[in-house]
Amino acid sequence: MFKDLDPILHSQLRLAVVSLLISVKEAEFTFLREKTNSSAGNLSVQLNKLKEAGYVHITKQFKDNYPQTLCRITKKGVAAFEVYVNALRSYISKDE
Amino acid sequence: MKEENFSETDSLKLINEMISKVKRSYVTKGIASMVWGVLIITCSLLTWAEVRYNWDPGFDVWLLVFLALIPQIFFSIKEKRSRKFTAHDETTTTYVWSAFAISIFILSFYNSKFGSEQATTLFMMLYGIPTFITGGMFKFKPMIVGGLICWALSVVSVFTPVDADMLLMAGSGLFAWLIPGIILWNRYQKQRRENV
Repeated sequence: MFKDLDPILHSQLRLAVVSLLISVKEAEFTFLREKTNSSAGNLSVQLNKLKEAGYVHITKQFKDNYPQTLCRITKKGVAAFEVYVNALRSYISKDE
Repeated sequence: MKEENFSETDSLKLINEMISKVKRSYVTKGIASMVWGVLIITCSLLTWAEVRYNWDPGFDVWLLVFLALIPQIFFSIKEKRSRKFTAHDETTTTYVWSAFAISIFILSFYNSKFGSEQATTLFMMLYGIPTFITGGMFKFKPMIVGGLICWALSVVSVFTPVDADMLLMAGSGLFAWLIPGIILWNRYQKQRRENV
């Protein structure tokens, strides 16, 4: 029996964001945009979906008089990512 | 990035690609390491000249170490501010190097009070600790080797006279910081060229 893939994570941009955030303690919005080559609008929408799912924590603050958005993955997000990767592995090993 | 259905293999590829991107972003310039290395080598060689040739510079050359803390702090803050993410290991390295700085300060204070000529052994032992830990944390072999060399030179210094100890100290500055710093700087420059 194979596990269903988490629909929140099984989306290209959201998975890319979570994969980046799992590798760091926290990251600026601009860092995520650069690395995913996405538009600010699309990234905002996807980040909000991750936030609503409780996978990502977003903090807005000011740095040198400029607004700064910091994102970090939550414990729930880490757990969901682990489940997702394990599910992927089970699908791939079935194919092989 | 397109929002379309993608296969399980594509998902794993994407995860690996993003993790690699973060790894490539985490490149330190190595300036602080080079500054610290040059300083330790300079102070050691000046002290060696003092002992060997009875030369008096008119001040304690090791005070330069405290002066070097200013650019050290400046470069660290500048590098941290320019980075758009915080790595998991950053807090640990900050604590490790702070513990090192405090220990060096206490040992220098002890040395100034009691004037122990054997303190070089202890200094080199201390140099090895943060260097070895940092090298291990970031899987950066030149620093792991540098830390081990500091400890080896520390043991050797037990059997050598004070002037030779200073040459050993210069050697520890070279292997623990200057060479790893140059390697980091070259890596940074190489990556910059690749990203252009």
